[in-house]
Amino acid sequence: MSMDLALRLGLVELNWNFVFQLINTLILFLILRHFLFKPVTTFMQNRENEIKNQIQDAKNLEEQGLAFKGEYEGKLKHAEEEGKEILRKQTQIAETKAIEIVKSAEAEIESMKVSAQKELERERVKAINELKDQISELTILAASQVVQKNLSESDHKELIDKFISEVGDTRWQN
Amino acid sequence: MGTDGFGPHVAFYIGDIPVSETVTVTWFIMAFLLIFSIVATRNMKKEPKGLQLFTETLVKTINNLTTQNMGIKNAAWAPYVGTLFLLIGISNIIGLLGLRPPTADLNTTMSLSITTFVLTQFFGMKSKGPLKYGKGFLEPIPFLLPLNIIGELANPVSLGFRLFGNITAGVVIMSLVYGALGSILGLAVPIFEAGIPVVLHIYFDLFSGVLQSFIFTMLTMVFVSGAME
Repeated sequence: MSMDLALRLGLVELNWNFVFQLINTLILFLILRHFLFKPVTTFMQNRENEIKNQIQDAKNLEEQGLAFKGEYEGKLKHAEEEGKEILRKQTQIAETKAIEIVKSAEAEIESMKVSAQKELERERVKAINELKDQISELTILAASQVVQKNLSESDHKELIDKFISEVGDTRWQN
Repeated sequence: MGTDGFGPHVAFYIGDIPVSETVTVTWFIMAFLLIFSIVATRNMKKEPKGLQLFTETLVKTINNLTTQNMGIKNAAWAPYVGTLFLLIGISNIIGLLGLRPPTADLNTTMSLSITTFVLTQFFGMKSKGPLKYGKGFLEPIPFLLPLNIIGELANPVSLGFRLFGNITAGVVIMSLVYGALGSILGLAVPIFEAGIPVVLHIYFDLFSGVLQSFIFTMLTMVFVSGAME
């Protein structure tokens, strides 16, 4: 064996080892391609794609979120305006109602006033009528008394004065 | 064949055919790369660290180198480029382990450069069509056809001999230096062999080795993509 090891091939010569090295290179190429380059490149490519997809997803989500945000901001603004509108309408309605109420109250007061005056008038008329009745009664009474008694001048005068004082101002007011 | 000189040792025989240590060391490198590939691509995590990080960086670098020099459409060449780079690179620096670099054997370097040459011609014809590719040899003037053919044939020769020459020079110089250092003062223990050759190892094995593997792969990419364009 040591003899064989000591044996050397020429330094610059082509021999069968050329063929062996050709085969070795081919085998090594297949080994590296199958066991190193393909799996590692595929793995890195997949990871790259995954990261790209994730970034794309994140972008999409962000866009979606922004769209939602805009939408909700719009809605919020709309709602605010709507609320203001409702408030304004309700205030208007309330004001109208208040005015109506005040008006109707005034009208009622007016009508009450009118009816009270009418009542008063009626009462007055009634009173006057009663007074008139009483006066006529009194007159009749006085007349009957005059007729029953032969009255003297002084009696006359007395009677008349009495009558007048009894009837009073009522007559004149009539 | 003999016992002198700097040629590779004969490792064993297949029948009458002597198989040199070039081939056995290459098998060792192949086994190492096979085990490395299997171990490194096992349980790959989404978040790379340790060995996986190294492996990904290596593959990514070779992929990028390939696409930068040959275009994105030739990304499928990366495994071949990587094979050349890893095989030549490890071969060149395996001298540090005391083994004989397989690239210090013309059979290895010429098998690699002729592979590149054949691929160059094949893919040049495939991509351009044989006629247009053949017409390329008549340019710029048909008179230059012989020169163009010689130039084309010189490529694999220069490619193979450049690598072989550089690495073999290192091997020869290193063994001469070791021999010289071992015989200084005729000491029983060659103490001068310790330490002093380190500087030369760094230059011949590491620097020159990595540089030559890089040159070989770069030229391969240039030749192939040049023929395809």
